[in-house]
Amino acid sequence: MVDLETIRKKAKEIVSREDVKHLIGWRKGTFGYRVTPYWVEAPEDAEELVYSPLCNTNLATYLTLAEKLPLPKGQEPDRRKTALLVRGCDSRAVVQLLTERGVDREQVVLLGLPCRGVVDLRKLKDSYPEDNEVADAEWKEDKIVLNVSGEKKEIPREEVLDDHCLVCRYPNPVEADETLGEKVEPWAEESHPGVEELENASFDKRWDFWEKEFERCIRCYACRNACPMCYCEDCILDRLNPTWIYRSNNYSENTAFHIARAFHLVGRCVSCGACERVCPAGIPLGKINQKLVKEVREKYEFEPGTDPEGVPFQASYNPQDQEDFIL
Amino acid sequence: MSEKVLQKANWSSFVQALADARELWFPVKDGPIYKFAPYSGDVDAGLEEYAYSSVPPKAVVLPQTETMFLYQVGDKEISLPEEKKEKVVLGARPCDARAMDIVDRVFQWDEDDPYYLENRNKTAVIGLACNEPFVNCFCTSLDGSPGSTQGLDVLMVDLGDKYYLRSVTDKGSRILGDAESALEDASGEGSQAEEIIKEAEGKIKRSIDTEGIREKLEEGWEAPLWDEVSRACLGCGACTFLCPTCHCFDIQDEVEGFDGRRCRMWDSCMFGEYTLHTSGHNPRPSRKERTRNRISHKYRYYVEKFDKIACVGCGRCITSCPVNIDILDILSRVKEEL
Repeated sequence: MVDLETIRKKAKEIVSREDVKHLIGWRKGTFGYRVTPYWVEAPEDAEELVYSPLCNTNLATYLTLAEKLPLPKGQEPDRRKTALLVRGCDSRAVVQLLTERGVDREQVVLLGLPCRGVVDLRKLKDSYPEDNEVADAEWKEDKIVLNVSGEKKEIPREEVLDDHCLVCRYPNPVEADETLGEKVEPWAEESHPGVEELENASFDKRWDFWEKEFERCIRCYACRNACPMCYCEDCILDRLNPTWIYRSNNYSENTAFHIARAFHLVGRCVSCGACERVCPAGIPLGKINQKLVKEVREKYEFEPGTDPEGVPFQASYNPQDQEDFIL
Repeated sequence: MSEKVLQKANWSSFVQALADARELWFPVKDGPIYKFAPYSGDVDAGLEEYAYSSVPPKAVVLPQTETMFLYQVGDKEISLPEEKKEKVVLGARPCDARAMDIVDRVFQWDEDDPYYLENRNKTAVIGLACNEPFVNCFCTSLDGSPGSTQGLDVLMVDLGDKYYLRSVTDKGSRILGDAESALEDASGEGSQAEEIIKEAEGKIKRSIDTEGIREKLEEGWEAPLWDEVSRACLGCGACTFLCPTCHCFDIQDEVEGFDGRRCRMWDSCMFGEYTLHTSGHNPRPSRKERTRNRISHKYRYYVEKFDKIACVGCGRCITSCPVNIDILDILSRVKEEL
């Protein structure tokens, strides 16, 4: 893997460059297992960087989240680059953004890190509840080691890893200016967690399942905002004239919202799982996205965010594409 | 004031008696979270495992979506939705009841808001004291307590095999009267309850000294701190929607076919749409201004108007933030750096 000192040293080097504005990484949070995205501006800031199985945000989202505000008269725009720590999924998000021209490759510096999966905090909740003490975690072979108040707890990886990470086939960055540490051997065969089970259920069962899930949605849009692929400046959900989706919180409008979001991610979702991890209502959003990932993969052999030179799914056409869904 | 004891063995008849007299709202487990919902007759549902509701009980008095009136497109007549029923909320945490008290002032300081007040006046709250505070609780920094009675009609304290109940208001006494058959008179359980509350207070680990924050917020309007604390913000509404004192709403007309309804729904100052003008100008154009507003509203603007901080220290915004934006961290930086 990679040790923290190497990351910090490299980060220092990068932010010392004149053409780099800052480097986005993670640092320790304020309690429990929390880790927070962190902006390294000066070389000494790099000392606070952390890298662990608790780093569960997809940092690529910050490339497009930063507001582009009009500048005061006479002020020149800051054209320096943004550097980013990227693992497999973060780098796939960046690659997808590159192919969509949502991000300019010349404007980003990618520091690659191998990854062995991040922890799903919901899986820790019952057996290892969060305390005020800021805990630490590390990867150790096929285990996750939690360090809570100096006490180390070894947990088998498959017990606490995010479902998306359990089936991840891209633990190493697919695109980076430099990748640190040793490459990780991929551990999973292609599969789409939770999808087969629903596919095999009856129509009514599936409908009931999603009705119950979507009814719980509070419409905070954390899923949309955490997603590196949701970066429309004029989002359909925010439109008022016409209002495509009403603001009323009910099953019908919530369902319309989630269907709209899912369809906008077809052939674009990079399976990082950020949407599901941030949902305060615990809606298994990954299941919807994974179903669409699976469809796109089976029907068009397309996998987003894997080829920096590629074209986006919606912009590609192949005469051999299946057309069996056209009536 | 009446003091009663409820043996846990009598739990189901107590719940049934409340439900017979009023519309009973109860914390129910929905997937991985708890929220308040109308009682469904499942008398086995207890409060044993319930910590706190992810969605605060403000949703009972200020629903996320509320129909104000109904109309037919092209018709000048309007009709009103069904009249609200007398409700009782069972198991609200004391901080959430204190929050209702804070929201009450907003909805009656100039004009009375009939939608909110009707709901609020018809709602009685039975609070459940917190024997075990949660990781991000800091109510004691804001004049609160795990056994605070402010905003409550009845306080309930878990004593192990029984609950101690004490009415705080006349409405509370009437509610206990409705469920009389399930209750016994208290004999000294009050002091046991006080001890539990005191012990719980000692278990609260997080705190903030609020002295001087209002002034600092005024002085440090343009401080670089706001850029730093808002940079990781995703701009979602989790902190505000799950906050028991956040009360901002939007009003919209929603039409299906010819059936129209005017409704109001929670809005969030963390959304770009919140302050967007018709002209396209937005006075809070980025997450920096929005984060500053969220903190300033609670710790400055509300204070200037009502001489009280609009935060009860429930810690939901801290726990639910996907990127660990921590209001206590921001407030302590406000104190130190501004």
